[in-house]
Amino acid sequence: MAKPPSSLLAERSAEVDQAVLAGRELPETGCAILAVGGYGRRQLFPYSDVDLLLLFESDKFALASKASISDFLRRLWDAGLRVSQSVRTPAECLEVHHGNPELNVSLLDQRFLGGDRALYDGLAARLPRFLHASREPLVRNLAQLARERHTKYAGTFYHLEPDVKETPGGLRDYQLLAWLHQLREGGALEPSPELEEAFEFLSGVRRFLHTAARRDANVLTFEAQDGLAEEAHDGDAGHWMRGYYRHARAVFRAATRQLETTEAKSSSLFAQFRDRRSRLSNADFSVVRDRVHFREAHQIEHRPELVTGLFEFVARHGVRPSLDAEQQIATRLPAIQKVGAPWTALARIFSLPHAPLAVRWMHETGALSAIFPETAHIECLVVRDFYHRYTVDEHTVIAIENLWNAPEPYRTLLSEVERAVLLFSILFHDSGKGSGESHVEVGIRLAREAMARVGMPAADRETVEFLILRHMELSVAMQSRDLYDPQTGRDLAAVVATVERLKRLTLLTYADVSAVNPNVMTPWRADQLWQVYLIVHAELTRELESERVAAAPHPFLEGLPTRYLRTHTQPEIERHIAMAAAGGIAVEVVRREAAWQLTLVAPDRPGLFAAAAASLSSFGMNILRAEAFANRHGQVLDSFTFEDPHRTLDLNPSEVDRLQSVVERALAGKADPRELIRNRPKPPLPSRKASIAARVSFDNEASQTATLVEIVAEDRPGLLYEVASAISESGANIEVVLIDTQAHKAIDVFYITAEGVKLSTERQAGLAETIRAAIAG
Amino acid sequence: MKKIEAIIQPFKLEEVKESLKAIGIDGMTITEVRGHGRQKGHKEVYRGQEYTVDLLPKVKLEMVVADDRYEEVVQKLAFSARTGKIGDGKIFVYEVAEAIRIRNNDRGETAL
Repeated sequence: MAKPPSSLLAERSAEVDQAVLAGRELPETGCAILAVGGYGRRQLFPYSDVDLLLLFESDKFALASKASISDFLRRLWDAGLRVSQSVRTPAECLEVHHGNPELNVSLLDQRFLGGDRALYDGLAARLPRFLHASREPLVRNLAQLARERHTKYAGTFYHLEPDVKETPGGLRDYQLLAWLHQLREGGALEPSPELEEAFEFLSGVRRFLHTAARRDANVLTFEAQDGLAEEAHDGDAGHWMRGYYRHARAVFRAATRQLETTEAKSSSLFAQFRDRRSRLSNADFSVVRDRVHFREAHQIEHRPELVTGLFEFVARHGVRPSLDAEQQIATRLPAIQKVGAPWTALARIFSLPHAPLAVRWMHETGALSAIFPETAHIECLVVRDFYHRYTVDEHTVIAIENLWNAPEPYRTLLSEVERAVLLFSILFHDSGKGSGESHVEVGIRLAREAMARVGMPAADRETVEFLILRHMELSVAMQSRDLYDPQTGRDLAAVVATVERLKRLTLLTYADVSAVNPNVMTPWRADQLWQVYLIVHAELTRELESERVAAAPHPFLEGLPTRYLRTHTQPEIERHIAMAAAGGIAVEVVRREAAWQLTLVAPDRPGLFAAAAASLSSFGMNILRAEAFANRHGQVLDSFTFEDPHRTLDLNPSEVDRLQSVVERALAGKADPRELIRNRPKPPLPSRKASIAARVSFDNEASQTATLVEIVAEDRPGLLYEVASAISESGANIEVVLIDTQAHKAIDVFYITAEGVKLSTERQAGLAETIRAAIAG
Repeated sequence: MKKIEAIIQPFKLEEVKESLKAIGIDGMTITEVRGHGRQKGHKEVYRGQEYTVDLLPKVKLEMVVADDRYEEVVQKLAFSARTGKIGDGKIFVYEVAEAIRIRNNDRGETAL
């Protein structure tokens, strides 16, 4: 059987010991030679530096021996050793070097090679006490070095061409474990079998790299991966790399865990914070030492929702799962896969502030691929190209993290969309990679299976399919289209079709591009993408009011915005035509999966839209989305998607009919909207803590025929009615309306005219005041 | 030897690279830059706010070529970067005193 790599390293160290001692012609007293660093611990790689510490009893003596030191070193160089030496006195070895923490660290692995034994013994006797007394600053320095190194590699071990020494989960992290253990416990690390195996594996890889390159080369290049896979009789380098990631993961997780416990012990401030977090504990989960645990893990068997519950806790509070919780989940993966998770539970996790952390741990524990087996094959998947730095699964998780941490203006854009659907789309956007077919088509197919299984609402499914299908559209445009050519905006607008989709696609593109490698999303590129967003947004805004259906198969459709045809299915359109046929007022209320929908067709008159909004508010309904269009024959088509927070309509089917008739009476002018709304309890006004400052902006350029009013405000019941009636009462006519609400933020766009033309600047100013007053209540 | 420096529209980069590759030029340095010349910035309106874009994104290409090649390279470059509109960019040509390959100390045109 072949020797384990560690014993080959020890043999190499012993050979070098001989060479060093043979070349030694230094004073026998007052000077000792110590092996330090990797050489000190007898883990010398073929082309690594041979770290020597020349210990002199005094600076003066060292200075006097300068000539013999350089002779000695030259002989070692001539013997082919790459020596890296330092000359120190015992006093220097026994102080904390904040500017040079490597010196302190190297002494953790020191051993005597030759020279003045008594001098060495003096140091060796005092060293343990020094290390114990100075362990706080030493640990801090060590932890800081490690954190900086991890940051340099984006904190992940899933690099396509990792550095086996420096990348997280590499040999340096294994050493970090040993050092922290030594400083904390005062003895040598006794690694678990898993860690020991990982160390042997990584050592073998590094030896291979050194031997192949004939120098201190530590980057596991694609070429080296091929060579190692062949040597291991594991023909497929991709498969061999999965083994690498498994070992790197073991080392990285052990190292980060050790780092965290060490840091926690070192900082009383941190300890206080940690204790404060333990108050987050509830009936199912407890937070101990800043980690969330299952209170009763055995309950998972008959309460499988505890698993998603744990990740929801993570996503809500930003507290990571404990090692124990991780293991509880890891041992139950088949059961988790069998039970699955409903979209409602997943959407809750994905919408919370710390969703990326939850996704990272769902991925780490294997729960993610248990819930979505469709993504299992992208785990540790290496797709070789020039610019991707990470494996496909890691790219996906980093994309989510980057988007949630995106700077302005992307941050604001993110607050305007449904995050859960977007996050799901990112999870699946590259899920088709590695299949050999078009990754977009395969990705859509896999997402469809997953969406059907978890029960995602149909409208959201459409969004996901669109996003996966077009996920490269904007980045391709950034690179290959003239952004200042109006045709570019028109072409992209035709593909994207609505502003709602544009927002999501822009965010997905930001996430995707930024996760390719840490340097790709430069401010320059972030600007380019934003320019694409602006030109497509401008085009969609312009055409919404300007581009009307001309030649239509039915007169009802004539003059409706082209958006109408893009956003409605054929059965919906037929239904609307039927409603319009009678020529009067037609109202329909139907349940659409999670929400309700009110559709109305009526002859246009001032205040119509506000009346419908008021009727809904008077029933306590929350309006989520709305649109209002007019055709050429003076008929309007308004539709409202709303939620029923008190389940009034579900529990009292007769209320559906009553709502319908109230809307009809309000539209016919038989019921006063103001009266309707007066009967409702006064809604709470936006709190002073409200993070969303109300913004009212006018744009006379965006559309050829109308003034565009955009309102961004904190949502509250009745808001839409107040704003719409303020506009109508000012004498302006509402031509087109688009309303969207996301997480307490209402984004209302009205296209208005007064006496058939755009509003003058004075009139805009007056209306702005009225609208602001309406928002303020 | 001549150093050719070209400022071009970002979306023309691939086309320019391809056309230079076709005549055997595949070594160049590419930088993302911003700037403006006579093509001044423009305005975008979003949320009622005007975004004035003073500095437009451009790509800068730099390459050093042998004296007898530079006319051909400049022509290819100009042809492939051209849209005929304002903002297509500019090409500058400099004399190069020396070129040294760091790895083996090759000098002059052999170092290119």
